[in-house]
Amino acid sequence: MADKNQSKGGPSYVQVVTLIFPSPTSREIFGRQTFLSTTRTLEKMDSDQVEKINGLLERDVELRENIKDQVNELDKKTRTMVGLLNKIHSTPPDALPALLESVRPTLLSCRDVTGALSTIIPPNQFWRWKDMWSNSMRTAVFAAALIEYLSNRALLSLSQAAELLGIKEEFSDRMTLPVEDYLHSLISLVNELSRLAVNAVTLGNFEEPIRISMFVKDLFAGFSMLNLKNDTLRRRYDSLKYDIKKIEEVVYDVSLRKLASPSPRPS
Amino acid sequence: MSLTVVLVVGWALWTDNRNGFHLARRHVIHFLMATSTTASVALPTVTHLFDDFRADLDDHNDRRERLIKASRDITNLSKKTIFLLHRLALEQPAADDQNPGKRAAQQGYEKLREVQNIYSKLQSELVGDRFWRYQRQVSPGLQEYIEALSFAHYLEHGTLIPFDEVQKTLMDSEGVEQYVPLSVSDYLLGLSDLTGELMRFAISGISRRGGRAKAVEVCAFVRGCKADFERMSPYIRDLRKKQIVTAQSLEKIEDAAYAIAVRSSEYDLPPELLDDIVAQSISNYGGVLRQSAGHRKTGDLSDDEDGDMM
Repeated sequence: MADKNQSKGGPSYVQVVTLIFPSPTSREIFGRQTFLSTTRTLEKMDSDQVEKINGLLERDVELRENIKDQVNELDKKTRTMVGLLNKIHSTPPDALPALLESVRPTLLSCRDVTGALSTIIPPNQFWRWKDMWSNSMRTAVFAAALIEYLSNRALLSLSQAAELLGIKEEFSDRMTLPVEDYLHSLISLVNELSRLAVNAVTLGNFEEPIRISMFVKDLFAGFSMLNLKNDTLRRRYDSLKYDIKKIEEVVYDVSLRKLASPSPRPS
Repeated sequence: MSLTVVLVVGWALWTDNRNGFHLARRHVIHFLMATSTTASVALPTVTHLFDDFRADLDDHNDRRERLIKASRDITNLSKKTIFLLHRLALEQPAADDQNPGKRAAQQGYEKLREVQNIYSKLQSELVGDRFWRYQRQVSPGLQEYIEALSFAHYLEHGTLIPFDEVQKTLMDSEGVEQYVPLSVSDYLLGLSDLTGELMRFAISGISRRGGRAKAVEVCAFVRGCKADFERMSPYIRDLRKKQIVTAQSLEKIEDAAYAIAVRSSEYDLPPELLDDIVAQSISNYGGVLRQSAGHRKTGDLSDDEDGDMM
């Protein structure tokens, strides 16, 4: 056969033709050794590598669950506080101190959570996990700042907030109160105070909006000093002017109708 | 006064989205500061507090910017290293060269030393709790670096680079201080990108002498990697996404390996002719992949090709 004669030489017309029109005989050699079967098994990751990495990953999972438990605990506390503090909108000024006192124990109990977190978080890993609790922590700081404002008409400082929540200086690589979170809490405070300005008037407390207005304007001036980048803090800061506008409108209404006493400013 | 404040705030609102925003804001600040100083005693403390916050935030934002820039430089250098490795791997090895992969890898390591230098300068920016604070800015560069490093390592050893070895390249010469701590997720995500490079390496080298055997070898390797990563992907969200890309790369190599297996088994062809056929298959392969995201089209394709050859 021509086929057999050609097979000793290089590529030929016949071979190309057989390629295009496979003959039945060509299939018989299919079982022959192929490239695939000659490959030796290669190492990918060796088994202790896999073990090591899985170990690390599982440790993180466990850590995450522990943190989650604490955050749930914190969430319960902040929900209680926010629920209680919501009553400020319907509480007359003379009953306010008692209401604020009733929130304080819950606020101070947040120390248990921050203390626990500071032992759970591995060294230097604060920023790795903080997203898990930053919302809850912001709410807790907001509650603390609101209580401070309503009790003393003063701004709760960052260090005071940290102290109230039991966040110690020596925890700093595991548990700290970042400026950004504190500022978020202050914005929440302004949001809440703009509502309070309106509701205080409804309750017949005409001085409150004026005091709030001054406090909030100071805060706004402070925020204006910051170089914020385009993030949620910046967006929330931009929305502050609506709160200020709302408060100013209340002040405007109260002043024009001479509802507030002539010198409402605290000494 | 309240009226003016309402007006100014209204004006600030209006200018908010316009070009004059910065100017407008500065005016509002001056105005408010001027009115507030006269109106309230609480201000000095507030301004004082916010002065500190500004310093703190500026420090943070500046560092963040510096790290983003550095990370971009690192990504660039790593990408260049990967291209270099691809070029070197495709070069016809010298006759006396026992291990051409090793030679390529050496040049790759040399190039990556530039990246290591950048990391050594970043050490103070990433010290202590800072690494995790800026992890999102640092990770992209780090993963690209790991991809390049692991590619060089593969060319030399044919294995996956171990975790500790990656960390070792990011330490000072005494091996004491880490320039940057290596996280498991960066390590795995960097390795996951390696599979894409290996796909390119296998397919572009397929027409070379010995390229087909290499492609089959890479195919098995990538399959093994994918299986290893599969176990770990539930823990790392981004790895799940990258597993999809790895699966696609793997499929491309498998399709190429399939073509090789079919040709080489059915016909007793000399390698030169096989080279021609495969080369042609590869050149058509790219177009089909782009159309249909590479799903089982090679079968149809080879029919067309045979038709063309007639």
